[in-house]
Amino acid sequence: MEMLHYDFMQRAFYAGGLIAVMASVLGVYLLLRRQALMADMLSHVSLAGVAGGAYLHMNPTLTGFASAIVGAIAVEYVRRSYKTYSEISIAIIMVGGLSSAVVLMSLDTGLSKSFSSYLFGSVVAVTSQELWLMLVTAVIGGLFFILLRRPLYQMAFDEETAKTSGLPVNGLSMAFSILTGMIVASAMPIVGVLLVSSLIVLPASLAIRIASSFAAAIGIAIATGLTGTFTGLTASYMFSTPPGGTIALTLLFLFIAGITIKRVAVQLSKRRQRENRREAAYTQPPQSGAVSTDSLQ
Amino acid sequence: MLLASMKQVVFGYGDVPHLEEANIEIHTGEFVAVTGPNGAAKSTLLKLTLGLLRPWSGEVYLSRKSTGGSKLVVGYVPQQIASFNGGFPSTVLEFVRSGRHAIGSWLRRLKPEDHALTEQALKQVGMWDLRHRRIGELSGGQKQRACIARALVQQPDLLMLDEPATGMDQQSRSSFYAFLNRLVKEHGKTVVMVTHELSEVQPYLDRMISLERKEDGRWRCCTTTSCSGHFMPVG
Repeated sequence: MEMLHYDFMQRAFYAGGLIAVMASVLGVYLLLRRQALMADMLSHVSLAGVAGGAYLHMNPTLTGFASAIVGAIAVEYVRRSYKTYSEISIAIIMVGGLSSAVVLMSLDTGLSKSFSSYLFGSVVAVTSQELWLMLVTAVIGGLFFILLRRPLYQMAFDEETAKTSGLPVNGLSMAFSILTGMIVASAMPIVGVLLVSSLIVLPASLAIRIASSFAAAIGIAIATGLTGTFTGLTASYMFSTPPGGTIALTLLFLFIAGITIKRVAVQLSKRRQRENRREAAYTQPPQSGAVSTDSLQ
Repeated sequence: MLLASMKQVVFGYGDVPHLEEANIEIHTGEFVAVTGPNGAAKSTLLKLTLGLLRPWSGEVYLSRKSTGGSKLVVGYVPQQIASFNGGFPSTVLEFVRSGRHAIGSWLRRLKPEDHALTEQALKQVGMWDLRHRRIGELSGGQKQRACIARALVQQPDLLMLDEPATGMDQQSRSSFYAFLNRLVKEHGKTVVMVTHELSEVQPYLDRMISLERKEDGRWRCCTTTSCSGHFMPVG
């Protein structure tokens, strides 16, 4: 644990832990609402905010954060026009975010950090200010997901039934989108724009596939997110690899391993059931009322 | 007491009006069926009543209060083929219990009474033994029953059902319709149900709302037929 003697590694572990928990829970709801690509889209919008902030000589972290929130609000409005195909709204805003980012990045922005650290993430890129921003986001997100877990469950399953039950679905959905923007913008320094969706999508994908209940899905997603992030950060330090890519690869490995174990377990269970049935057929005498060969004679 | 009504409602998808001259009234303690051929805007009529769709013109009214003066509780069972989220990682128990979430404050803790009502609703639809099963693993008929249980657990004043008996066998349908009839006649609830199986449900109905095609191909909700044989033009 020599690496934990370094301040920058401590910050990376604190930040990684906070983001892993938030992103994993968020991912479960995003996937169930068929908005898996929203994190990817918002990270591009956030990058445009970073570039814009640098060009205007404003704090790029805060402008990136603000632009992700604006993008989240915009996607919510566009989504209402394409109710059945919510991914269209994501594609539309992604085009706007990515094109703005490319144009702004081509200008001389004079950023202190390189754009590659925003694109791919960097442990040393996590500043105290960014860590505080993550902490604030984690507190807001934690309260949101704990206090509103029941309405969120209903809304994620079926918005129409949730509306008829009296839930203010539009307001709740908007708050959820804004929180998504905040979490994505907070996660950018550690995993980078290109890999932020790995933290959100991979733990949730595994959890939804293998969990037997909703509570278990949330628990599995958090455990997978934390394991992947901490293992990825450690491997990144040991092998001097980029942290974002290493975390994403670790999460991908966990996802494939989890799915494979689940399949093997299902196959074994089916085989055991077949064997039990065969055994029962050999050992049980014919039941009363069953047609026997004698009655046919 | 008038629970819901529509006056001269026009609604369509895209630029073309699909439903015109929709005039209905739903009163407390009625068992009403909405009938019509496929594509006749039966589900649309339900969604307009519930405020899930906005009419192009005309008036839609849904009471906020029940007969007792408390907030009107509406139980809605949508058409399952279109809406059921089969991959949702949830047990039947969690799913049905979620119907209690909307009762009272969002932040309240569920009480023993909520759990007892959940058990009762699951038993009423014959799903208690499957309560720990993942909802995605259920058959079509079982999913339908789970959705009905989620609506029942709310103890709704107004129950809106969109083809709820899809996937049920004949015996299950008969006992389900008899159960709905008891809700109306013994507990004073109001049931509005979209259905094609009129012959089975007709003995229990108070009224039928039928959607008829006009000469220009659009649909109108022009008649409210009393099941005792009277014919009442409303439009």
